[in-house]
Amino acid sequence: MPRMLTRAAAIVFGVGNLIAAALLVLGVFVALPARWWPVDAVAAGLTGLEFISGVALLADVRVARRLTAVAAAAALALGTGVVTTLALTASWLAGVYGPVGRGGALILVLVSALTLPYFVVWPAIQLAWTRLGRDS
Amino acid sequence: MTVRALAWTLFLWLGMTGLACLAVFRSFALRSDASTTRIVASVWAQGQMIARAVLANAAERAPALDSALASHAGANLVYESVVGEGPVITRPMVALSVSLVPGRDGLEVTLDGRTEYLTPDDLLARQAYDRGINIAALGLTAGLDADLALALLAERFQTSVSGLLERAELRRFRVARSLPLAPAARTITAETMTEDDVRSGAIAAGRFLARGVDGEGRFRYLVDAPTNRTLAGYDWPRHAGATYFLAQTAGLVDDAKVNWATLRAASLLRDHAMVECGNNPCIGSDRVVDVGSTALAIIAFAEIATSKLDPGYALVVPGLTAFLRTQQRSDGEFMHEYDRNEGHPVDVQFLYYSGEAVLALSRAHSLLHDPRDLEAASRGLAHLVGPGWSFFGSRYYFGEEHWTCQATDDLWDRAPNAQALDFCLRWQAFGRKLQYEAGETPFDAEGAYGLGPLVTPRLTPVGSRSEAGIATLHAARRAGSPGGDVSKLEQQMRRSLALLLRRQFHPGLRHLLAEPDAVEGAMPASEVDWQLRIDYAQHTGSALVRWLRLQQP
Repeated sequence: MPRMLTRAAAIVFGVGNLIAAALLVLGVFVALPARWWPVDAVAAGLTGLEFISGVALLADVRVARRLTAVAAAAALALGTGVVTTLALTASWLAGVYGPVGRGGALILVLVSALTLPYFVVWPAIQLAWTRLGRDS
Repeated sequence: MTVRALAWTLFLWLGMTGLACLAVFRSFALRSDASTTRIVASVWAQGQMIARAVLANAAERAPALDSALASHAGANLVYESVVGEGPVITRPMVALSVSLVPGRDGLEVTLDGRTEYLTPDDLLARQAYDRGINIAALGLTAGLDADLALALLAERFQTSVSGLLERAELRRFRVARSLPLAPAARTITAETMTEDDVRSGAIAAGRFLARGVDGEGRFRYLVDAPTNRTLAGYDWPRHAGATYFLAQTAGLVDDAKVNWATLRAASLLRDHAMVECGNNPCIGSDRVVDVGSTALAIIAFAEIATSKLDPGYALVVPGLTAFLRTQQRSDGEFMHEYDRNEGHPVDVQFLYYSGEAVLALSRAHSLLHDPRDLEAASRGLAHLVGPGWSFFGSRYYFGEEHWTCQATDDLWDRAPNAQALDFCLRWQAFGRKLQYEAGETPFDAEGAYGLGPLVTPRLTPVGSRSEAGIATLHAARRAGSPGGDVSKLEQQMRRSLALLLRRQFHPGLRHLLAEPDAVEGAMPASEVDWQLRIDYAQHTGSALVRWLRLQQP
């Protein structure tokens, strides 16, 4: 793989991870109205991983790819877990209540659409990239 | 892991999640077959369940029910026919809370071979729905009060709640309610609603409020419908708003009790709640007063004077409008508070008050023709629909603008504001997107506004948005707005008014009320929240009165 492309990709992923860290802080520590330690602890851990891997990628340190792989794997595990939980909750509510209405359906779709790109698609691409980098 | 393996893992995850969702949906959906068919038959008297039997079908007789009916004059036999059942999650408690559809589902509990039914009527009589989860940030409560429900069941089994949760099997069941000995009630829909329905509903709401006015002129501000208990709390803006609606009712029906109640409530405002705010009178009792109380008092006084109930109330209006004008900033916005000790306005803004002030100044100008009131009202309205609601995304999001749009209509013949009418039409179109259609939720919600099934549709916003919607319709017709918009808005209003009339305690589920006649005509907060605050009846009643006036040539 050409060195320039790899470096450019590292910068893109580095900036992306910093944005993901900022979104986590915003979503969990600013937007959520109450504090609950399991959610806060997981969010804090993932925020730390995303931030450190982002900085490492931008600084081009030697362990950047490995850190990114760890952060991406953690984000992917968490993201798939959250999406699965949301989908099962929505299915349970639909079972209990029947029709959820246009508004309810729209909210569920929007929440999924907000979670999937950042915490499933993005880390999956990163994992693939770190893998491809090692293969080359 | 290779890239290919990663892709396959994600693909597998998607498939497994989809299958799991289907399994969860099917497990918790209601099951309906011959084994679930039965009738929980109850005899109710004065809001208390006095006998119950589970029948295999409607032809079966139970001596306990016959005996209860014979021994209690005015008792009602109610069938709650089980039409489906399904499992519930009992842990965590919040899951149990949202496992029942409010007003439709009850809990079936089996312990040591004995089965008890906590039916929707049992839960409504105890007001257990919509009390489970309090979302303070949104001002909402939703879900079953699971603690109360479990306590009621534990009492029936003479055990503890923890014992019940450990040993009993809990299931939910859905019912269809019928009163076999009562005449069939007519269902009002947007298509079948008549002018007589609307008139009766408005008068009933007015009479409900009038019955609650005491000798001093105070309303029964908040009433618990099942027990007919008056709850704590009072609020001057809502007192003034309710007085306004009473005056509207007095113009609709010749009823001495309504007239006297209106004048007692108005005199409490004029003789006991009027204080000095600098050089002008205002309404309030605290050190810091709000402009909403004064604005709504002006609207009430103007209605009383216009309806000739007591033309003398016109004399009080100029001082109060002078106060409102001194609260107005140069850009048209109002400062919503006045500090009486320090003698100056406080430049803060709250929901509703600016729109109320504009409508009050407009009504005062109609009554007394002071050009300063018209100028102030026009400036206030221009600010509300212009700089006051101008930000990125303001065409996609709206606040509660019911007073703004009533003011738009009120001013239309004297100071028409096309931007305001456009604003109100867009707000109503936004509302149409959120308005439920028939069958869209498990509730009787056609015509209500909402965003999902968890929160039972609230009826007060339906009333207040209908006041504004009908006012907008009135202005749009005079402005010659496109027929399509007008027709959609008219249908939207018909759906909302029909819902309000269906949910009004007129007669409602009388068997669950200790004193049904005392709350006849009242409006509940929702289908299952039966706390009755005076503004619920006011908004609905005023909307109905507006509709009647709209039908006049």
